[in-house]
Amino acid sequence: MAEQTVSIYRSMKDLPSTHLLGTGTPMCSGCGGLEALNQLYDIIGNKSVFVNAAGCMTLLSVYPFTPFRGSWLYTAMASAPAGAQGVRDALDILIQKQRMSADEDMQVVVLTGDGAAYGMGLSATSGAMERNLDFLYICYDNEGYGNTGQQFSAATPHGAKTATSKGPRGYPGFKKDLFAIWAAHNPAYVATVEGAEPVDLARKIEKAMTMKGPRLLIALSPCPPGWDYDPKETVNVGKLAVKTGVWPLKEYIDGRVVHTKIPRERKPVEEYLKLQGRYKHLFEPQRNEKLINEIQDKVDRYWDSIDL
Amino acid sequence: MYRIRFHGRGGQGMKTASRILGTAFFLEGYEIQDAPRYGAERRGAPIFAYVRADDQPINERGIITNPDLVIVADDSLVPVPAAGVLTGVDEHTVLLINSDESVDTWKHRLNISCKVFTLPAEAEERAELRFIGATCTGAAARLLGKISREALQQAIKQELADLGEAVIDKTLAKALAAYDHMKNHEGCIQTGSETDASDYTKPAWINLPFDDARVSAPDIHASANSVEVRTGLWRTLRPVIDYERCNKCWWVCSTFCPDGAIKVSGQTPEIDYNHCKGCMICVAQCPPHAIEAVSEQLAQQQEAEQETSS
Repeated sequence: MAEQTVSIYRSMKDLPSTHLLGTGTPMCSGCGGLEALNQLYDIIGNKSVFVNAAGCMTLLSVYPFTPFRGSWLYTAMASAPAGAQGVRDALDILIQKQRMSADEDMQVVVLTGDGAAYGMGLSATSGAMERNLDFLYICYDNEGYGNTGQQFSAATPHGAKTATSKGPRGYPGFKKDLFAIWAAHNPAYVATVEGAEPVDLARKIEKAMTMKGPRLLIALSPCPPGWDYDPKETVNVGKLAVKTGVWPLKEYIDGRVVHTKIPRERKPVEEYLKLQGRYKHLFEPQRNEKLINEIQDKVDRYWDSIDL
Repeated sequence: MYRIRFHGRGGQGMKTASRILGTAFFLEGYEIQDAPRYGAERRGAPIFAYVRADDQPINERGIITNPDLVIVADDSLVPVPAAGVLTGVDEHTVLLINSDESVDTWKHRLNISCKVFTLPAEAEERAELRFIGATCTGAAARLLGKISREALQQAIKQELADLGEAVIDKTLAKALAAYDHMKNHEGCIQTGSETDASDYTKPAWINLPFDDARVSAPDIHASANSVEVRTGLWRTLRPVIDYERCNKCWWVCSTFCPDGAIKVSGQTPEIDYNHCKGCMICVAQCPPHAIEAVSEQLAQQQEAEQETSS
């Protein structure tokens, strides 16, 4: 059993008011992924090495500029967890050889998008968990290959329009349940977070930081250009993802899944879908009742199936 | 050969504008090349697109440094060095700029003798911004004088086929209005001179001694030095805090700002305008609605006036 800790983040007012991550990054205006990363980094702190797979956030550190206060390593799309293994081993060896003191040790943090996490990098992540690598994994999930113009990925939800699913029914596949796939490896910690729910997010990363072993977080990251909405709506979209039950906030700890914020009276998914241009074809020119119901049913079935 | 360079911000439809113009040229029987330049910049950041059109095969490649026509969708890009709006502009170049200010103001301000045309800035709403590209294309097509109204219409329908009738209709209306608006200046753009490989001059490199990275590139050891990048230049709207109405909740705007551009000192939030990209999340989320969105252009004018009066 993990030790029961009391969170210092009881309310919004406990959240940090100054921010560690540097401004001036080339992320889009209103980026939901950057919003989540900013909040996470405040708590992870500067004693960290980021291992970044190719994706939108590779552009955080474009030579000679970086928003990070610690080191950063860039890897190919499928291999960030393998890169993290190398960094972790190097730190361990430096400490063992006393070329670095134990209190100078750093958190090794993998940062990838959903293209790498749900698809290309899944095998490397599986291997890292199998080896019980001591690392944090942050996936900013904007439900498509956002960096190259929002082609669909294994994280794209059913019915969403992407650059490669433009038909009247949108993306025919279904979003992969990465939380369940990761949890099936029985790592130390898995959680879903959302930048629009900062207290829940702060408590989860705070908890993950006290643990050893593989700790993985998926941040649903509303994406103004990819999901096609005005950048000012990022937080509203994120909040609605939680309130409609589309994005369940939960954690896997000690072999159990716990829901951390339960929308007791779920709003209809329609409210979430309507805000985003990628679902416009569900409402115009005619309302696609069947597809809207299909999406609603899937959400309802999820919440009916779990034991709250 | 016509060499046309487009400047805009990500989200203003300039890449699409260049495609429409290229296709319209093609429909008129021209050899064409159209290509946006991809970089590490995003919505709101400066973007570039290039069109070449000729009645014979085009062998020239790459970015256009000697343009016959420069199209600027957003006049706030002119002073941005990274946008390079004036690169290679000489007396034969025509400058088409989307601006509230007069042609004379721009000629005086930029100290240029070339032809300048303005389009009235009409996008008050951000949702309208994406149609600026259409207006620019319509005006450019008429200034070039080689593209018929029909070819322009067909090119728009062809390029935007995926976006549905409503978007096509709106784009057509905007582009054709601009096309008609420029009728007195039809064909005022001259093709530039042909270039030859033998004209190539090497760029003026500055040779630096090969030092150890710790000496030659000290910045890579600096932390959080991205603050040197002024992403505040991306902004078209500016959030302004009304401190009378701010209820000092001290976390909402600061926590939700994706760029960490709102700091709270004491209990007072302060927006870092050098880095705020103008997403307006703070405006949408502030509980007592104490943050207002104002036009960046207007805000800058007011600042300039205050400066001169004080």
